[in-house]
Parts: sequence; structure tokens; C-alpha cells
Amino acid sequence: MLYLLILPPLLMFLVSFSHARNSKYILSFSTFLILIPIVSLFLMQKPFHLLDDYLIVDKLNSYVLLLVSIVAIGVSLSLLTLYKHVKIQEREYHRFYRFFAIFWVGLIISILANHMGIFWIGLELATLSTVYMIKTNKSKNASAEAWNYMLVGAIGVSLVLFGIILMYASAKPILGEDAMNFSSLLLHAKEIPYPFLFEMGFAISAVGLFVKMGFFPMNLWLTNIERAAFYPVAALFSGMLETSVILGFFRFSDIAKEVNYWHLFGFTMLYSTITIFIVAFLIYRSKDFIRLFALSGIEHMALVAIFWVSGGTFAALLHLGAHAFIKPSLFLATGILESNGKYNFNGALKGYHGVKGKIFLFLVGLFLLAIISLPPSPMFFSEIYGFSAMISFAKGSDYFLLIIVNIIILLLLLSIIFYKFVNVYQMMKYEGKERQKKVYFGEIAALALFALCIVFLMLPSSLKYLRGIV
Amino acid sequence: MIDFFIGMFLATLISALFTTRLYRLLFWYSMNSLALAFLALYIGQDINDNPLIISGMVTLIFKAIGIPYFLKKLSLKHQINRSIPPNISVHYAIILIPGILVFTFYLAQPLSQMMSEHANYVAISISSLFLALILMMQHKSIAPKIIGFLTIENSLFLLATTATGGMPMIVELGIFFDLLMAIVIINLLFLKNEETT
Repeated sequence: MLYLLILPPLLMFLVSFSHARNSKYILSFSTFLILIPIVSLFLMQKPFHLLDDYLIVDKLNSYVLLLVSIVAIGVSLSLLTLYKHVKIQEREYHRFYRFFAIFWVGLIISILANHMGIFWIGLELATLSTVYMIKTNKSKNASAEAWNYMLVGAIGVSLVLFGIILMYASAKPILGEDAMNFSSLLLHAKEIPYPFLFEMGFAISAVGLFVKMGFFPMNLWLTNIERAAFYPVAALFSGMLETSVILGFFRFSDIAKEVNYWHLFGFTMLYSTITIFIVAFLIYRSKDFIRLFALSGIEHMALVAIFWVSGGTFAALLHLGAHAFIKPSLFLATGILESNGKYNFNGALKGYHGVKGKIFLFLVGLFLLAIISLPPSPMFFSEIYGFSAMISFAKGSDYFLLIIVNIIILLLLLSIIFYKFVNVYQMMKYEGKERQKKVYFGEIAALALFALCIVFLMLPSSLKYLRGIV
Repeated sequence: MIDFFIGMFLATLISALFTTRLYRLLFWYSMNSLALAFLALYIGQDINDNPLIISGMVTLIFKAIGIPYFLKKLSLKHQINRSIPPNISVHYAIILIPGILVFTFYLAQPLSQMMSEHANYVAISISSLFLALILMMQHKSIAPKIIGFLTIENSLFLLATTATGGMPMIVELGIFFDLLMAIVIINLLFLKNEETT
């Protein structure tokens, strides 16, 4: 099974060395091969272990693996027409795919990991390979941001490892080397001899994971990097990397919940609220699409973290799925939205002609309104479920008023973001001059794929699966 | 003996923070790695842990000798500016560094009631992580930032060695593999930088 999962990125890696005329299509369509092992994963009885006890396939990571794979397919489809929107040499294009393949392998390893060390190795592999993808853009800004990513990303990942070592040290006296194992730790969480050490490790790891997703205090580093890189990199970050990173948070927080639920809840709630507070105002001030979408991604990830620790696991997973499909679509759309009059919201939704243009217009409008949770977006339902889970949690706690005040603050902050997006949508649609824009097959195919997946996500059977995960 | 090596580790790291020349910084990084390698070898021999001895050997060969040599070659090849004045002036650094040390010992105090042996080592590891972060932050140029990143790896290894008696071998190997890949990427970035400029 593992070999089948690794096969498409491996094939992509090998084909990236070929300079045959059709290699571009092989590179893109090879990603579809991932659907074979993914579908069989869903048909199999779970959970089961791979490579001894190091990897595990359960309902949660099968879902995340599906999300990540679909994003990989969508992005690779849009890459078919990348050269029509940006200046890129063929050699660089192939190199981009080479590092994309390594990035993908890293993420598959970290998603399947049942071992904290393996999770970290996968994440580090993915982080390092992304550096070169940023560098594909030959501008000086991209070069500086690639260094930034290398260093800040490395700090984030190092913090994760530091926390992992502390957690390992806290449980080693009773579990030995199994203290690295997620499932063993979860099973014996209440017996951990040094809970303070574990919590300190968890806090440091969580901060590392949050830094990687652009949470407080590193709100701008991710947005600057996504701005400097070519737009598919931003799509990969939001759809694949952030989704995998948050899975790590889910795994760690499940154990931390058993050690001391209140500490976990307080820590996550405070950290995420501060993040959303800062991000809301940054969104309000943002003047270009990439920064707007990148900051919105941070906001959604913070919401997912809050929902998860509040017990709204269904809401968190639905929100995560919707975000994984909507955000890459928007990032991929920026290739066209910014093709004329760069960084300008005004008139970005004007000037589309022909069938492809009309479809693009419709889909982008849909995604823009979906990201601010307008019904029937899955985000609308996930936020309703998520906030009601928080209220239920507050009812059963000693800090009812505090949590309710926090919910009100969050809703106020979300309304600022809502206002900004509606304003941007109106500027795109009604202001500015009309400039003709060209839409190509690659982007339309990617956006249509993501739209189809959102519809599938809302099917009763999908929702039932999500409810059954935890 | 363990205390001596950990003391050397911390002393070399603090010296690196006050360094204003690149090669001197590489030297302190090399010394820092050397202290770490001897510590791992000593503990490994003491508790008869072969994986830890192997990790110590790898640290000695790669981190204490290989990486500083490679980075020196790289800096010569790309003619990197050797003057690296820190952004944080010495006056502030003199206050900041002990402050961090005191804070981390305070942070790890509850551990001393639980763990009789390793609480101070955990505190020193956390403080060296913070000091390595300062090393990264206090320089504008890339080369000292890379050394800062590598020093973070060293403080991670120190924590793993002292607090846990070594990580599982697969994790140690994974970390070394990632470190090597990081060096490859750094090399690529330097090459690409030259192409861009």
C-alpha cells in the first residue's frame, strides 16, 4: 500500500528529469494515479499498521490523505498552463515538479506517521523541498523570501522536534522507545510520569506547528513568501502543507487532552484568538489577492484548531476539507485575476469572454463567497456546528462567561473579515475598467475539480464519514 | 564529566553570540559540536548505548569537522562578507543572555521536583535553543543565520542526549538526513543567488 502511495510522486520525480515534449502532460496526469491507493484505503478495514508500527492508516489520516491528493491533482492540472501566466524556463518548470514530488512524499510520510519522529522527518522533508519551489521565481524578492522560508520554517520545525523530545522524555520511563508512538502515548496518556514535561513539550510543539501555519507572532512571513513565489506554491501551501500540519496538531492535542484538557483548551483558545485578532486587521488592510487569501488561510486554520479542542471534531474536519478545496482554487485563480493590472482588486472580475471565461467567472465568484461562509458553503455549516460545540463546551465548564465572551470576540473579528471580502467582491465586480483576460484549460479543469469535490463533501455519505472519524 | 561538556557547550554558544567575524563563528560552532559529540560519546559509553555512540561519532565527523569546513569553502567560493556585526549590541546582550538562562531555569524548576537528575540539563537545552534563536535574529546576513539554524539542531541533540539518553536510532538518522538535505538546499540557494544577481 505504501509503495502505491509513493508511486505517483516517485514517477513525477523521475519524469521531471525527462525533457521530452509530452513530459509536461505526463507530469501532470501522473498525479491521478494516487486515486487508486486512496480509493482502496477507503475500502479497507481501518485502522491498520504499515512498516511495523511506524505508520498507521486510520479514518482521520485517510481523509487528510484524500484532501492532500486532490489538491496535488488540482495544482498539477493548473501547472499545465503556468507558463502562459508567468515567465518560467522549461528547466525550472521541471525542477519545480522534482521538488513538488519530494514535498508530496514528505507529506505522505508525515500524514501516515504513527511515530512522532517519523511525523517530524516527513514535515522537515516537505519544508526543505518547498524552499526550492519558492526559488523557481527568479525575482530578487523571491530569493530573499526563499531564505526567509528556509530559516523561519526551520525554526518552526525545530520547535516541533524540541517539543517532541520533551514529550518523549516525559513518557519514556513507562513506555521506553514506544513513547514516540502516537497510539501508545494516547493509550497511556493518564499514566505519564512527568505531565508538566509533557505539557511543556506539547506547548513548544504546538507553537512550532502554529508558526508553520503563520499563526501569531509570525503572521506575515507566510503571506510574504506566498506573495513572492509563483501562485501554485501558495495553493500547495494552503491545501497540502497546512492540512498536514494541522493533522499533527490533532494528533498531539488528542494526547494533551487526556493529560490536562483545560490547559489544552485555554492554550489553544488564547493563541488562536490572538492570531485571529491580528489577522482580521491585517486582512482589512490587505491590498492584493495573494496576501488576502494567505491571511484568510491563517484565520481558517485557527478556527479549525479551536473547533477541534472544543470537541467540535466534525465541524473542524468539515471546515478543514472545505478550506483545503476552496483556498487552493482561489490561489490558482490569482494567476488570471492578477494577469492584468497586478495587485488590483478593481475590475478583477471583468473582461472574461467565451465559455471558459464565463465558467471561470462563475467559479471564482462562488469560491470567494464560499470562503466567507455564505450558505450553502460547507464553511457555513462547519462554523455553525463549531460555534455550537463551543457553546455546549462552555455550558459544561466553570468558565462559561469567559468562553462566551471569547466566542463573541471571535464573531466580531469574523464579521470584519466578512465585510472586507464582500467589499473586495464588489470592487472586483463593479469598479475599475474592463481589461480582457484569457482563461486556459488548466485552470478551469483545476477549479472545476475543486468545485466538484466541495459538492461531494456536502453529500450525506461524506458527512456521515466525517462524523464517524472521531 | 557530563557537567563539564555541557558547560563547554553553553560557553561556546555564548562566545558565538559575541562574535563579529564569520570564520570565528564557524570555529565556535565547530567547538560547540565537538563538546556535544564528546558528551554523546561519554554518555553512550557510560550507559553502554551503541546508537548514542554512533550518533556521537556522526556528530564529530559531520558537525564538528565536515559542516564547518564545507561552509568555509562555500563562503570562499561565493565571497561572502566575513564581517558580521550583530544587531544587538554587546551591552544589551550581556543583560539578555543571563536573563534567558535565569528564565529557563525558572521555567524548568517544577521539573527538578519530578526529575532528580536531568532537570538542569533540560533547562540548559531550552536556554541554548533560545540563545541559538538570538544568534539567528541578531544578524542580517545569511551565513550567521545558517549557523544559528545549525546550532538549534545542536541544542535539540543536547536535549535528546541528556533528557532521554538518546532518541530512537531511526529518528537520529532521519535528523541527520534532513540536516544533510538542508545543507544541499543551502548550497543550491547560494548557487541560484549567483544566477539571479
